[in-house]
Amino acid sequence: MENRRDNLLEALKAIRRSIWVFHLNTGSCNACDIEILDVLTPYFDVERFGIKPVASPRHADLVLMTGPVTRKTLPKVVNALRAVPRPRLVLAIGACAVGGGIWHDSYSVSGGVEGLKKVLEENGVEIDKLVYVPGCPARPEAIIYGVAVLLGIAKPKVKEEVVEVK
Amino acid sequence: MSLLKPFKLIGIAHRSGVVTVRYPFQPPLVTPEFRGRIRIDASKCIGCGACVNACPSNALTLVDDGERRALNYFIGRCIYCGRCADVCPVGAITISREFELATDNIGDLNSRVIHYKATCSCCGEETTATERMISYVVSRVPVTETYVHMGSRCRKRRFIEGLMMGRGMIYGESER
Repeated sequence: MENRRDNLLEALKAIRRSIWVFHLNTGSCNACDIEILDVLTPYFDVERFGIKPVASPRHADLVLMTGPVTRKTLPKVVNALRAVPRPRLVLAIGACAVGGGIWHDSYSVSGGVEGLKKVLEENGVEIDKLVYVPGCPARPEAIIYGVAVLLGIAKPKVKEEVVEVK
Repeated sequence: MSLLKPFKLIGIAHRSGVVTVRYPFQPPLVTPEFRGRIRIDASKCIGCGACVNACPSNALTLVDDGERRALNYFIGRCIYCGRCADVCPVGAITISREFELATDNIGDLNSRVIHYKATCSCCGEETTATERMISYVVSRVPVTETYVHMGSRCRKRRFIEGLMMGRGMIYGESER
Protein backbone atom coordinates (compact mmCIF):
# COMPACT_ATOMS: atom_id res chain seq x y z
CA MET A 1 0.00 0.00 0.00
CA GLU A 2 2.77 2.41 1.03
CA ASN A 3 4.79 1.38 -1.97
CA ARG A 4 1.87 2.03 -4.29
CA ARG A 5 1.39 5.53 -2.87
CA ASP A 6 5.04 6.33 -3.46
CA ASN A 7 4.70 5.09 -7.03
CA LEU A 8 1.67 7.31 -7.54
CA LEU A 9 3.47 10.37 -6.18
CA GLU A 10 6.44 9.64 -8.42
CA ALA A 11 4.19 9.22 -11.43
CA LEU A 12 2.39 12.48 -10.65
CA LYS A 13 5.75 14.21 -10.40
CA ALA A 14 6.79 12.77 -13.74
CA ILE A 15 3.72 13.98 -15.63
CA ARG A 16 3.55 17.38 -13.92
CA ARG A 17 4.61 19.27 -17.05
CA SER A 18 3.12 16.96 -19.64
CA ILE A 19 -0.36 15.61 -19.06
CA TRP A 20 -2.16 13.87 -21.85
CA VAL A 21 -5.87 13.93 -21.31
CA PHE A 22 -8.63 11.83 -22.77
CA HIS A 23 -12.10 13.33 -22.86
CA LEU A 24 -14.69 10.72 -21.87
CA ASN A 25 -18.32 11.72 -22.28
CA THR A 26 -20.59 9.35 -20.36
CA GLY A 27 -23.94 10.76 -21.46
CA SER A 28 -23.57 14.36 -20.40
CA CYS A 29 -25.67 17.22 -21.76
CA ASN A 30 -22.59 18.69 -23.54
CA ALA A 31 -22.24 21.76 -21.31
CA CYS A 32 -19.23 20.32 -19.48
CA ASP A 33 -17.79 19.14 -22.81
CA ILE A 34 -18.01 22.65 -24.19
CA GLU A 35 -16.22 23.93 -21.09
CA ILE A 36 -13.49 21.33 -21.63
CA LEU A 37 -13.14 22.50 -25.23
CA ASP A 38 -12.95 26.04 -23.86
CA VAL A 39 -9.99 25.03 -21.73
CA LEU A 40 -8.20 23.71 -24.81
CA THR A 41 -8.78 26.83 -26.93
CA PRO A 42 -6.22 29.67 -27.15
CA TYR A 43 -8.21 31.72 -24.63
CA PHE A 44 -7.23 29.44 -21.73
CA ASP A 45 -4.52 27.61 -23.67
CA VAL A 46 -3.68 24.76 -21.31
CA GLU A 47 -0.79 23.73 -23.51
CA ARG A 48 1.01 26.28 -21.35
CA PHE A 49 0.94 23.56 -18.69
CA GLY A 50 1.57 20.74 -21.13
CA ILE A 51 -2.03 19.51 -21.10
CA LYS A 52 -2.84 17.97 -24.45
CA PRO A 53 -5.88 16.02 -25.63
CA VAL A 54 -5.33 12.59 -27.09
CA ALA A 55 -7.66 10.42 -29.13
CA SER A 56 -7.25 7.11 -27.32
CA PRO A 57 -7.45 6.20 -23.62
CA ARG A 58 -4.34 4.05 -24.13
CA HIS A 59 -2.30 7.21 -24.59
CA ALA A 60 -3.91 9.10 -21.74
CA ASP A 61 -2.51 10.00 -18.33
CA LEU A 62 -5.73 11.60 -17.19
CA VAL A 63 -9.36 10.93 -18.05
CA LEU A 64 -11.73 13.89 -18.05
CA MET A 65 -15.05 12.28 -17.23
CA THR A 66 -18.30 14.16 -17.77
CA GLY A 67 -21.89 12.98 -17.45
CA PRO A 68 -23.87 10.82 -15.05
CA VAL A 69 -22.72 7.45 -16.52
CA THR A 70 -25.90 6.29 -18.19
CA ARG A 71 -26.75 2.61 -18.52
CA LYS A 72 -25.94 2.63 -22.22
CA THR A 73 -22.47 4.07 -21.71
CA LEU A 74 -21.57 2.06 -18.59
CA PRO A 75 -19.90 -0.93 -20.32
CA LYS A 76 -18.04 1.39 -22.69
CA VAL A 77 -16.85 3.53 -19.79
CA VAL A 78 -15.54 0.45 -17.98
CA ASN A 79 -13.74 -0.68 -21.15
CA ALA A 80 -12.27 2.78 -21.72
CA LEU A 81 -11.03 3.05 -18.14
CA ARG A 82 -9.55 -0.43 -18.32
CA ALA A 83 -7.53 0.66 -21.34
CA VAL A 84 -5.94 3.55 -19.45
CA PRO A 85 -2.41 2.68 -18.28
CA ARG A 86 -1.64 2.75 -14.54
CA PRO A 87 -1.70 5.01 -12.61
CA ARG A 88 -5.27 5.68 -13.63
CA LEU A 89 -6.10 9.31 -12.93
CA VAL A 90 -9.69 10.47 -13.31
CA LEU A 91 -11.14 13.97 -13.11
CA ALA A 92 -14.91 13.83 -12.55
CA ILE A 93 -16.17 17.09 -14.05
CA GLY A 94 -19.60 18.60 -13.43
CA ALA A 95 -22.47 17.97 -11.04
CA CYS A 96 -23.54 14.83 -12.95
CA ALA A 97 -20.17 13.11 -12.75
CA VAL A 98 -19.60 14.03 -9.11
CA GLY A 99 -22.94 13.21 -7.54
CA GLY A 100 -25.37 12.28 -10.29
CA GLY A 101 -26.69 15.81 -10.70
CA ILE A 102 -30.40 16.24 -11.23
CA TRP A 103 -30.53 12.61 -12.43
CA HIS A 104 -29.10 11.17 -9.24
CA ASP A 105 -32.16 8.97 -8.51
CA SER A 106 -33.13 8.15 -12.09
CA TYR A 107 -33.40 4.54 -13.21
CA SER A 108 -31.27 5.01 -16.30
CA VAL A 109 -28.06 6.33 -14.73
CA SER A 110 -25.61 4.79 -12.32
CA GLY A 111 -25.30 8.00 -10.30
CA GLY A 112 -22.04 9.50 -11.51
CA VAL A 113 -18.63 8.36 -10.45
CA GLU A 114 -19.82 7.04 -7.08
CA GLY A 115 -22.03 4.44 -8.76
CA LEU A 116 -19.34 3.76 -11.33
CA LYS A 117 -16.79 2.99 -8.61
CA LYS A 118 -18.78 -0.06 -7.46
CA VAL A 119 -19.05 -1.40 -11.01
CA LEU A 120 -15.34 -0.86 -11.55
CA GLU A 121 -14.56 -2.71 -8.33
CA GLU A 122 -16.63 -5.68 -9.52
CA ASN A 123 -14.75 -5.67 -12.82
CA GLY A 124 -11.34 -5.35 -11.19
CA VAL A 125 -10.55 -1.92 -12.57
CA GLU A 126 -8.83 0.30 -10.02
CA ILE A 127 -8.74 4.09 -10.07
CA ASP A 128 -5.56 5.40 -8.46
CA LYS A 129 -6.57 9.00 -7.96
CA LEU A 130 -9.91 10.65 -8.42
CA VAL A 131 -10.57 14.37 -8.15
CA TYR A 132 -14.04 15.85 -8.09
CA VAL A 133 -14.72 19.12 -9.89
CA PRO A 134 -18.27 20.28 -9.06
CA GLY A 135 -20.06 22.85 -11.18
CA CYS A 136 -22.99 22.86 -13.55
CA PRO A 137 -21.14 23.21 -15.83
CA ALA A 138 -17.72 23.48 -14.21
CA ARG A 139 -15.98 26.67 -15.25
CA PRO A 140 -12.81 26.35 -17.35
CA GLU A 141 -10.87 27.86 -14.44
CA ALA A 142 -12.36 25.25 -12.12
CA ILE A 143 -11.17 22.48 -14.44
CA ILE A 144 -7.64 23.92 -14.52
CA TYR A 145 -7.79 24.15 -10.74
CA GLY A 146 -8.95 20.54 -10.55
CA VAL A 147 -5.92 19.41 -12.56
CA ALA A 148 -3.70 21.40 -10.19
CA VAL A 149 -5.34 19.67 -7.21
CA LEU A 150 -4.82 16.30 -8.87
CA LEU A 151 -1.12 16.97 -9.38
CA GLY A 152 -0.74 18.24 -5.84
CA ILE A 153 0.22 21.77 -6.93
CA ALA A 154 -2.83 23.40 -5.31
CA LYS A 155 -4.58 22.54 -2.06
CA PRO A 156 -8.37 21.97 -2.08
CA LYS A 157 -10.14 25.08 -0.82
CA VAL A 158 -13.41 23.46 0.28
CA LYS A 159 -13.69 21.87 3.70
CA GLU A 160 -16.52 20.02 5.36
CA GLU A 161 -18.48 22.48 7.49
CA VAL A 162 -20.68 21.34 10.35
CA VAL A 163 -22.44 24.03 12.36
CA GLU A 164 -24.59 23.13 15.32
CA VAL A 165 -27.41 25.51 16.20
CA LYS A 166 -28.05 25.55 19.94
CA MET B 1 -1.00 35.14 -53.71
CA SER B 2 -0.74 31.89 -51.76
CA LEU B 3 2.91 32.68 -51.03
CA LEU B 4 1.93 35.90 -49.32
CA LYS B 5 -0.67 34.23 -47.12
CA PRO B 6 1.58 33.56 -44.08
CA PHE B 7 2.65 37.20 -44.03
CA LYS B 8 -0.97 38.27 -44.09
CA LEU B 9 -1.60 36.06 -41.07
CA ILE B 10 1.23 37.74 -39.17
CA GLY B 11 -0.52 41.06 -39.66
CA ILE B 12 -3.85 39.68 -38.43
CA ALA B 13 -2.23 38.04 -35.39
CA HIS B 14 -0.40 41.26 -34.57
CA ARG B 15 -3.62 43.28 -34.69
CA SER B 16 -5.59 40.91 -32.39
CA GLY B 17 -2.69 40.59 -29.94
CA VAL B 18 -2.43 37.98 -27.17
CA VAL B 19 -5.84 36.68 -26.08
CA THR B 20 -4.70 34.00 -23.59
CA VAL B 21 -5.60 34.73 -19.98
CA ARG B 22 -2.92 34.00 -17.39
CA TYR B 23 -5.48 32.31 -15.16
CA PRO B 24 -3.62 30.93 -12.15
CA PHE B 25 -1.49 34.06 -11.98
CA GLN B 26 -4.34 36.47 -12.62
CA PRO B 27 -7.79 36.62 -10.97
CA PRO B 28 -10.49 34.97 -13.09
CA LEU B 29 -13.23 37.00 -14.76
CA VAL B 30 -16.23 36.65 -12.44
CA THR B 31 -19.22 38.84 -13.22
CA PRO B 32 -21.57 40.07 -10.43
CA GLU B 33 -24.34 37.86 -11.87
CA PHE B 34 -22.24 34.71 -11.54
CA ARG B 35 -23.69 32.07 -9.22
CA GLY B 36 -21.28 29.86 -7.34
CA ARG B 37 -21.80 27.66 -4.31
CA ILE B 38 -24.38 28.77 -1.76
CA ARG B 39 -23.58 29.77 1.79
CA ILE B 40 -25.99 28.93 4.59
CA ASP B 41 -25.86 31.40 7.46
CA ALA B 42 -26.37 29.14 10.48
CA SER B 43 -27.18 32.10 12.73
CA LYS B 44 -30.24 32.89 10.59
CA CYS B 45 -31.37 29.43 9.37
CA ILE B 46 -34.55 28.18 11.05
CA GLY B 47 -34.54 24.68 9.56
CA CYS B 48 -37.93 24.97 7.87
CA GLY B 49 -36.94 23.08 4.73
CA ALA B 50 -38.30 25.54 2.16
CA CYS B 51 -34.98 25.36 0.32
CA VAL B 52 -35.18 21.54 0.31
CA ASN B 53 -38.55 21.68 -1.42
CA ALA B 54 -37.27 24.14 -4.00
CA CYS B 55 -34.00 22.34 -4.75
CA PRO B 56 -34.33 20.65 -8.19
CA SER B 57 -31.38 18.30 -7.73
CA ASN B 58 -31.81 17.41 -4.03
CA ALA B 59 -28.45 18.92 -3.20
CA LEU B 60 -30.14 20.27 -0.08
CA THR B 61 -31.69 17.59 2.10
CA LEU B 62 -33.22 17.50 5.56
CA VAL B 63 -32.21 14.53 7.68
CA ASP B 64 -34.24 13.84 10.81
CA ASP B 65 -32.33 12.00 13.49
CA GLY B 66 -34.22 11.77 16.78
CA GLU B 67 -34.05 15.14 18.47
CA ARG B 68 -31.81 16.60 15.81
CA ARG B 69 -32.56 17.81 12.33
CA ALA B 70 -29.69 18.39 9.92
CA LEU B 71 -29.80 20.49 6.78
CA ASN B 72 -27.26 18.89 4.45
CA TYR B 73 -25.77 20.69 1.49
CA PHE B 74 -23.87 18.52 -0.99
CA ILE B 75 -22.00 20.77 -3.41
CA GLY B 76 -21.32 17.88 -5.77
CA ARG B 77 -24.95 17.74 -6.83
CA CYS B 78 -25.76 21.45 -6.73
CA ILE B 79 -26.61 23.04 -10.08
CA TYR B 80 -26.28 26.62 -8.77
CA CYS B 81 -29.77 27.70 -9.81
CA GLY B 82 -30.25 29.93 -6.75
CA ARG B 83 -33.85 28.91 -6.09
CA CYS B 84 -33.06 28.14 -2.45
CA ALA B 85 -31.93 31.71 -1.93
CA ASP B 86 -35.19 32.94 -3.50
CA VAL B 87 -37.48 30.90 -1.27
CA CYS B 88 -35.63 31.20 2.05
CA PRO B 89 -38.05 33.05 4.37
CA VAL B 90 -35.30 34.46 6.58
CA GLY B 91 -32.68 35.17 3.93
CA ALA B 92 -30.16 32.76 5.44
CA ILE B 93 -28.96 31.47 2.05
CA THR B 94 -26.70 33.64 -0.03
CA ILE B 95 -25.16 32.83 -3.39
CA SER B 96 -21.42 33.21 -3.24
CA ARG B 97 -19.10 33.51 -6.21
CA GLU B 98 -16.82 30.65 -5.22
CA PHE B 99 -16.29 28.08 -7.93
CA GLU B 100 -12.84 26.59 -7.27
CA LEU B 101 -14.31 23.60 -5.47
CA ALA B 102 -12.13 20.78 -6.74
CA THR B 103 -11.18 18.22 -4.12
CA ASP B 104 -10.00 14.63 -3.92
CA ASN B 105 -12.15 13.80 -0.90
CA ILE B 106 -15.89 13.76 -1.50
CA GLY B 107 -16.57 14.40 2.19
CA ASP B 108 -15.22 17.92 1.76
CA LEU B 109 -18.17 18.72 -0.46
CA ASN B 110 -20.70 18.33 2.35
CA SER B 111 -21.76 21.05 4.72
CA ARG B 112 -24.29 20.69 7.45
CA VAL B 113 -26.39 22.84 9.76
CA ILE B 114 -27.72 20.87 12.73
CA HIS B 115 -30.90 22.06 14.43
CA TYR B 116 -32.55 20.79 17.59
CA LYS B 117 -36.23 20.05 17.59
CA ALA B 118 -38.51 21.77 20.06
CA THR B 119 -40.15 19.68 22.77
CA CYS B 120 -43.91 19.60 23.24
CA SER B 121 -45.05 21.77 26.13
CA CYS B 122 -47.74 19.18 26.95
CA CYS B 123 -46.13 15.72 26.81
CA GLY B 124 -42.42 16.58 26.53
CA GLU B 125 -41.80 14.64 23.31
CA GLU B 126 -39.97 16.30 20.42
CA THR B 127 -42.19 17.99 17.85
CA THR B 128 -41.69 18.18 14.10
CA ALA B 129 -40.62 21.83 14.30
CA THR B 130 -37.29 23.28 15.34
CA GLU B 131 -37.12 25.84 18.13
CA ARG B 132 -36.13 28.56 15.70
CA MET B 133 -39.13 27.77 13.49
CA ILE B 134 -41.48 28.23 16.43
CA SER B 135 -39.97 31.52 17.51
CA TYR B 136 -40.15 32.69 13.88
CA VAL B 137 -43.84 31.78 13.65
CA VAL B 138 -44.59 33.44 16.99
CA SER B 139 -42.85 36.62 15.92
CA ARG B 140 -44.84 36.73 12.65
CA VAL B 141 -48.28 35.56 13.82
CA PRO B 142 -48.84 36.28 17.54
CA VAL B 143 -52.25 34.58 17.53
CA THR B 144 -50.79 31.08 17.29
CA GLU B 145 -48.86 31.50 20.51
CA THR B 146 -51.25 29.44 22.64
CA TYR B 147 -50.86 26.09 20.91
CA VAL B 148 -47.77 26.51 18.77
CA HIS B 149 -45.50 24.98 21.43
CA MET B 150 -47.38 21.67 21.30
CA GLY B 151 -46.64 18.68 19.15
CA SER B 152 -49.14 17.66 16.47
CA ARG B 153 -50.45 14.74 18.54
CA CYS B 154 -51.14 16.85 21.63
CA ARG B 155 -52.66 19.55 19.46
CA LYS B 156 -55.09 17.05 17.95
CA ARG B 157 -55.96 15.62 21.37
CA ARG B 158 -56.60 19.06 22.78
CA PHE B 159 -58.82 19.92 19.85
CA ILE B 160 -60.89 16.75 20.26
CA GLU B 161 -61.11 17.31 23.98
CA GLY B 162 -62.33 20.84 23.38
CA LEU B 163 -64.91 19.53 20.92
CA MET B 164 -66.12 16.93 23.38
CA MET B 165 -66.26 19.49 26.13
CA GLY B 166 -68.40 21.70 23.89
CA ARG B 167 -70.87 18.85 23.37
CA GLY B 168 -70.95 18.10 27.06
CA MET B 169 -69.42 14.63 26.76
CA ILE B 170 -66.43 14.98 29.07
CA TYR B 171 -68.39 17.21 31.39
CA GLY B 172 -71.21 14.70 31.67
CA GLU B 173 -68.80 11.82 32.19
CA SER B 174 -66.77 13.47 34.94
CA GLU B 175 -69.89 14.52 36.77
CA ARG B 176 -71.14 10.95 36.99
